[in-house]
Amino acid sequence: MVSLTLFLPLLGAILLMCYRDASTENIHKIGIATSALTLLGTLWIWMRGIAEPSAMNLGFSQVEQLDWMPSIGAAYRVGVDGISLPLILLTAFLFLLTFIYSAKVRKQPKAFIVLMLVLETAAIGTFTSLDAILFYVFFEVSLVSMYFMIAGWGHEDRLRAAQMFFIYTLLGSLPLLLAILGLYLGGDTQTFDMREWIANPPLEGGAAMLALIAMLFTFAVKTPVFPFHTWLPAAHVQAPAAGSVILAGVMLKFGTYGLVRFALQMTPEAFREAGLVVLTFGVVAALYGAFAALAQTDLKRLIAYTSINHMGYIIVGVAIAAITLDPEIRAIALDGSVLQMVSHGLVTGALFFLVGMLQDRAHTREMGEFGGLLKTVPLLGWSFVLAAFASLGLPGLAHFPAEFQIFLATLREVPIAIIVILGIVITAGLYLKAISQVFLGASNEKWASMPDLDRRELLTLSPLLFFIIVLGIAPGWMLDVIHQTTIALNF
Amino acid sequence: MVNDLVLMIPEIIVLLTAIAVLIAEMLRQPRIGFIAAIAGLSLATVLTIPLLGENTTAFSETFRIDVLSVWAKLILLPATILSLLLLRAELGGSDREGTAYVLIIMVTLASLIMAGVGDTMLLVLGVLLSGLGSFALVAYPRDDKATEAAMKYFVFASVTAGVMIFGLTYWFGGTGSTLLNELGILEKSPVLAAIGFIAVLIGLGYKAALVPFHFWAPDAYEGAPISVAAYLSVIPKIGAIFALAQVVRELPSESGWQWIIASIGVLTMTYGYLAALRQHNVVRLLAYSSIAQAGYLLLAVIAVGVSPLAFDSLIVFSAAYVAMNLGAFAIVMRLGRTLCKFKNIGFQQPFVGITMVVFLISLAGIPPLAGFVGKFLLFGAAMDAGFIWLVVIAIINSVLSLAVYLRIVVPMYQQETDSQTEKVLTVENALVKSAWLVCLIFTVLIGLAAQSLLGYV
Repeated sequence: MVSLTLFLPLLGAILLMCYRDASTENIHKIGIATSALTLLGTLWIWMRGIAEPSAMNLGFSQVEQLDWMPSIGAAYRVGVDGISLPLILLTAFLFLLTFIYSAKVRKQPKAFIVLMLVLETAAIGTFTSLDAILFYVFFEVSLVSMYFMIAGWGHEDRLRAAQMFFIYTLLGSLPLLLAILGLYLGGDTQTFDMREWIANPPLEGGAAMLALIAMLFTFAVKTPVFPFHTWLPAAHVQAPAAGSVILAGVMLKFGTYGLVRFALQMTPEAFREAGLVVLTFGVVAALYGAFAALAQTDLKRLIAYTSINHMGYIIVGVAIAAITLDPEIRAIALDGSVLQMVSHGLVTGALFFLVGMLQDRAHTREMGEFGGLLKTVPLLGWSFVLAAFASLGLPGLAHFPAEFQIFLATLREVPIAIIVILGIVITAGLYLKAISQVFLGASNEKWASMPDLDRRELLTLSPLLFFIIVLGIAPGWMLDVIHQTTIALNF
Repeated sequence: MVNDLVLMIPEIIVLLTAIAVLIAEMLRQPRIGFIAAIAGLSLATVLTIPLLGENTTAFSETFRIDVLSVWAKLILLPATILSLLLLRAELGGSDREGTAYVLIIMVTLASLIMAGVGDTMLLVLGVLLSGLGSFALVAYPRDDKATEAAMKYFVFASVTAGVMIFGLTYWFGGTGSTLLNELGILEKSPVLAAIGFIAVLIGLGYKAALVPFHFWAPDAYEGAPISVAAYLSVIPKIGAIFALAQVVRELPSESGWQWIIASIGVLTMTYGYLAALRQHNVVRLLAYSSIAQAGYLLLAVIAVGVSPLAFDSLIVFSAAYVAMNLGAFAIVMRLGRTLCKFKNIGFQQPFVGITMVVFLISLAGIPPLAGFVGKFLLFGAAMDAGFIWLVVIAIINSVLSLAVYLRIVVPMYQQETDSQTEKVLTVENALVKSAWLVCLIFTVLIGLAAQSLLGYV
């Protein structure tokens, strides 16, 4: 079932490529149908996952494997655990909404949908791979498709941004290849099986530290962590709204997921030694992201920088999990981090959709040019306010339970690092500023005739807002799944 | 004796094919010559298959039938067939068409000899034979540029071959034998071994266009017909690298040969891509890129004798390189030599655009294509041999390479806003098309199913 879900989007893409002279409408229908089926598939995987919670304690479940390159020990292996389950659900969910939102794309719709479907397979593949080579393959394929998406359907300065994104993240991901080779050559058995590497970390001492540094570099670029973040604002601002949603909602999680799956699980000892350094990076990234966002006048850039802030909290959580010796604190920190990945996907996804909708109407993203929009477009306005409040960590909305757990674990393990909580104050300030500039105040005559959300847009946004509230009020159903795995981690 | 001949059947068939094509050319029947060439090379390929897994030598240890030489045949013979298709598409109908076929087959034969070399005299023979054919091929158009390129190529060849032969006399003096497998004796005189090795490296480095012996390559590729450039960037290069692997297999490590090759590798990769960044002519760009790719192959040569991955990676990457590089050149044949000819192709001819992107990102080593599997194995081999720093440099160069290949990809997908650009004139040719389709299939297939190669290495 995992494999079926994984390759379903790819199948849809191939089908679409063979379908000649498809009308734009049909192309979008195929895209939506494929991703809806994929979402059903991930739901099925989720159900099977919670049906046998004991399997989650033992590591990966629903494993499927097939020989690929047996002479070097690489195989096709996929499976899920409590960390990847929420993420694939998030991925399939966000992709479906993106397809619905993109139904307006008129420029080369076929190529666009094909790229998106390939990207969906790559994203689910990254989260479910249990073989290091397979992981790397999916990791890079996502890069290539994102490059073409930004270069083909982006805004003004798209070619430069796409090139910067591609080169930057390729430079970032190659050290991971080095680390994978190191883990492979360091192990007793010649295998790329990640389960094997997690069960008995193959490297120790200096070699493990080198591998860790390589992996940290890769995932720091991907996440991104200050000072490796410069590609992010450029890529986000130039990418089409659909691309931004996927980039922020799904692809940034590759970085933090890799941090947990590879750095934390495969070189735990080295990570413990380097924990304080990573923690410092996380704190700095969170604060830097918040301050930089404060300085933006472009709404999309602002949201891009708050991503750096939110991802900074995740780094802090993972670092705490690495430092601590108490399994309970570790579980709390990781629960918070994984939940934060999901909530960030939902909240930032919603915000990028909203900015995209604003831009479709006004063709500008400068906050100074708007004003009083809450009166002209109340639905859009209130949606934005809700998503912004969620993003600044208001209790009752998605980010709160996640960030709360991260801060709790931080306070118990490295109390000084709690200064990261300042980030919340700053984001609160900047969102209030943005809301007052764009949606409150005197209304600008220019936008008096701006239409409110239409059916397609409502269909995109309402599920997101719904789940932002659900996760805020009752995160238990998701935390239980995550907790089953995080509590069982021992190193 | 008979047994030796049986082991050499593929090579003998290649030689007979060359003779048959020559006769056809003398009868002014280039068409028949072309068909005979394809048929002969295909037959030789098929007859190589039973030799898989052999590990022996022929003619008193001067020629080796081992994993390297057998795979060289399985890679280079089909590559030659593809090159012949391209050649016929470009030169078909010109008055000396058939001679080009003969020359190409002879150069391939020389490359096969190099790949199985077990004796220094045979090495000299291979290098000289492949050189002779190549000069004539480069000079084929008989215009100024081609003549100059061939001249440059020839002068370089004479000097480097001279140095190589001179250096080989040291080995002969030290071991009292021309056989490569006697080189172990030099264990106690590392200086002697090193002098000879540097000389061999100059000779083979020139063939494989390794920096700093590469100066001829961009000019030769630019002056030659595109199909000849495509051929020269693949077949003699792989032959020379395989020969290098055969030599270092026997060389005592006291001579420090690994470090010499490592430094040449660094120079080759870095210089190749840096120079490629500045090119506006696609053929020159691909010429520099093929220089850099040879640097990657050296990562496997370093690991020979140390890592079990060395031969695996050498063979898989060579096969991948053949497919992607020939494919890229075939598309250049279709579109033209300058970068501006690639403008907007991605929208006008979507399939050609996608195919070119596949070849280029495979050359950059991005999964899941052939180039990735090859480079991954190469990195693994070099790391296994303890050259982590070299792998780090190779990785940095991979990023550089992406910048190089994006120079072609970006204009392909640039929307022209100022004018409805005139439809690009393209050479529609069934031969070229079939060549790049085959290359495309292999580029994807080797990426996804590398095991089918690895299983037999």
